[in-house]
Amino acid sequence: MPKSSTDKRHFIIVAALIAISTVVLDWLLRTVLPLPVQASLEAMTVDWLIGLHLLLISFLFSLVVVFMLYGLFVFRKRDGDEEDGEHFHGHTTLEIAWTVIPLLLVLVFGFIAMNALADITRSESDEVTVQVTGFQWAWRFDYPEGFSSQELVLPVNRRVRLEMTATDVIHSFWVPEFRVKQDLVPGMTTTLRFTPVEVGEYKVRCAELCGLSHWSMLAPVRVVEEAEYRQWLQEKTAGLDPALVQGESASTE
Amino acid sequence: MSLLSLGIVRGLIGQLVGTAGGMALTMLIRLMLGLPAWKEEPVWVVGLILGGIGFLIGVGAVSDWFKWMKGIETPLHHGPPADKPAWTRYFGVDYNHKVIGIQYAVTGLVMLIIGGSFAVIFRTELARSGLQFLTANQFNSFLGMHGWAALFGIFISIGGMANYLVPLMLGAEDMAFPRLNAFAYWLNVPAIVMLLGAVYFGWDAGWTVYPPLSTKGPVGFQFLFYAVFFLGMSSILGSLNLLVTIFRMRPPGMSLFRMPIFCWAIVATSLIQLTATQLIGMSFLMLSVERVLGMGFFDPAKGGTPILFQHLFWFYSHPAVYVWVLPGLGIISEILPVFSRKPLFGYRWIALSSVAIALVGFLVWGHHMFVSGYSDYLRVPFMISTMLVAVPTGVKFFSWLGTIWGGKISFPTPMLFVLGAISVFLIGGLSGPILATVPTDLHLHDSYFVVGHFHATIFGGFVFPFFAAIYYWYPKITGRMYDERLGKLHFWIMTPGFWLQSIGQMSVGVMGMRRRIADYDPALGIEPGHILITIAGFAIAFSILLMIYNLFHSADVGELAGANPWRSRSPEWQIPSPVPEHSYASPITVVGEPYDYGLAGSTYIRMAPASAGHD
Repeated sequence: MPKSSTDKRHFIIVAALIAISTVVLDWLLRTVLPLPVQASLEAMTVDWLIGLHLLLISFLFSLVVVFMLYGLFVFRKRDGDEEDGEHFHGHTTLEIAWTVIPLLLVLVFGFIAMNALADITRSESDEVTVQVTGFQWAWRFDYPEGFSSQELVLPVNRRVRLEMTATDVIHSFWVPEFRVKQDLVPGMTTTLRFTPVEVGEYKVRCAELCGLSHWSMLAPVRVVEEAEYRQWLQEKTAGLDPALVQGESASTE
Repeated sequence: MSLLSLGIVRGLIGQLVGTAGGMALTMLIRLMLGLPAWKEEPVWVVGLILGGIGFLIGVGAVSDWFKWMKGIETPLHHGPPADKPAWTRYFGVDYNHKVIGIQYAVTGLVMLIIGGSFAVIFRTELARSGLQFLTANQFNSFLGMHGWAALFGIFISIGGMANYLVPLMLGAEDMAFPRLNAFAYWLNVPAIVMLLGAVYFGWDAGWTVYPPLSTKGPVGFQFLFYAVFFLGMSSILGSLNLLVTIFRMRPPGMSLFRMPIFCWAIVATSLIQLTATQLIGMSFLMLSVERVLGMGFFDPAKGGTPILFQHLFWFYSHPAVYVWVLPGLGIISEILPVFSRKPLFGYRWIALSSVAIALVGFLVWGHHMFVSGYSDYLRVPFMISTMLVAVPTGVKFFSWLGTIWGGKISFPTPMLFVLGAISVFLIGGLSGPILATVPTDLHLHDSYFVVGHFHATIFGGFVFPFFAAIYYWYPKITGRMYDERLGKLHFWIMTPGFWLQSIGQMSVGVMGMRRRIADYDPALGIEPGHILITIAGFAIAFSILLMIYNLFHSADVGELAGANPWRSRSPEWQIPSPVPEHSYASPITVVGEPYDYGLAGSTYIRMAPASAGHD
């Protein structure tokens, strides 16, 4: 076992251990952090970015912990040895390196994330628009066709725009399967866009503490085929005064 | 000896009298205005304010200043009170920074235990899905109380470390303003009384008390607002005192870059506390005034906006996170070289990285608001500025590795806790950028992932280092050694327990567990995770009880420690343990670098011959 702190063999061993540890840890993190079903286009972008982060976390965690554990083991005090360690104060080149490299990494990650953000918040021309109102402790979904619903029904593979507000306190719209979240604030309208890609039943869960029954502020979300969606719209609008039914053609085709 | 001779008893009576007087005064004024005498909010608010003042008068924290106004000179009394048992000085106004440091640290520990106990209670509730023994209302109150009691504990414990250590490390007789120091400590006690009142009356908006939720609901909110206001005043005055002490009272030869590194951490911390605490004081006052007088700062119906509060709150509360962790990181840098027997690697880089974290910390508050509904263009700048915090933090981690590398490392309990702190703070730090990145935050925001990240940051940056500091300076404070076996047992239960808890919290968060919910949906598959988190929580709580037992027990039966059991170069270890009333028999001069372990024949300080005397 090499003794001197500058012996090259230390660094070769540590580098190998870090590489192994990174791979193992990355696998482990993906196992203990299981993401829900990817039910929207945004989920794919977000999950890809989460994966990138997990890889970086695995590497940096390994870098520090493997170095530390290796150092603690190799440079541990032996019984009866009362001497001090080696005397050096620092290394300016190293300090500059571990300042500049993380700085560059931040800029690269910032750039990637900025593009991803632009992608998942983009608007499209034929969006399905629903007005969402949050109140203590339920949700209401108003469709432009002129009716209100207790459940949010959306056609698959169409861009959705939610125009949201709250009547009493702040709430937050979160469907974990869609990976996006947005607060609903009294006195203003906030917007959330996403594109559901998986037919299925989900729940919107209020993510901002809103008082007594915050924990049970849920509403069903159904993503259905386009044809079924139109049929549902027809059923909902059947009994309505035709004069109130606006924008049907705009929002369904 | 009568109970009334204890300052704290007189203070509590003063608070009671002040509160009752304030309430009576308000009711009287209301009657004179022709209004019904009782209205909960205004009556309590005036009572709370006058109660706090009543405490400070009763305890005697302002007596000297009143006497000065009347032209009476008051000598700076040092030493235990003449006609009372020595322990009573810890329960009244005392100007010795070591007594105040102990007062702070013990009060802080008590508050941490209270805060932790609330967590244990609602964690037990969360072990299984379904509401078992708490109502949703109790759950929400306990949740907010866990947050604020723990935060009180953190602020006050940091006050303890800083007050006890900084003057000793500078070789100073005391803090720059001993009376202000005592005043700043005693502000905390009425604040704690108000905080406990808050949980009695209840409040249900978590520790962040976002309006409009916090402008409705029980009067407990007002108790919280003024508790935090008094605590904040203590922070501001305490940090002012520390800055003056560090900048004006260093011994000859101790340039800024030759201070023990902990002092640098305290400089950075105090800069934040001195300049940012006003913001939370103001935002809580605005909430209080909105509730009492109906001024619509945050009420859209009256032209206000709820988002304004979030800006004001986080402009302080994000930098406050660095107030909680920077002293802990300073403790890590302070203790690592001693047990590695090596100089601190990159002293200047570590010192300046603390200042850099403090400064960048002022520019990142918006990352708490990515989904709040503020203007979209703010998201990217706050994302980048937040990620920049990783740079100075990384400098610290790598410099710590450099400190270990090539040392002769031993592993007594304080060193174990320092290493545990590094590993836990690493988990907290590395789980940060994924929250700073807007797209991934859209999923993780307000989920349990944030809870995991935050607790890892605070345990790694504050709790573990604080425990390291307690074990490390215990022999200096008491003159006796703690029980090493119990200390190690504490470490080996708490550290794996905490890793498990963190990973568990992040795991259920990713799967869809929201923050601050009294019950959860087992369909998400998160119940096994919650059982694990709860077990880990209990393990942590048990290990902390071991420490408390150790601290009490060893004070009586521990081995005598001697002046310098760790062979440290720092000034406080060159004087007897426990530290004498006037710490240094003679002034010290700095003649070398603080961490020159391994350089034969070098010393850090020299003590003048005892005859030199004070100037």
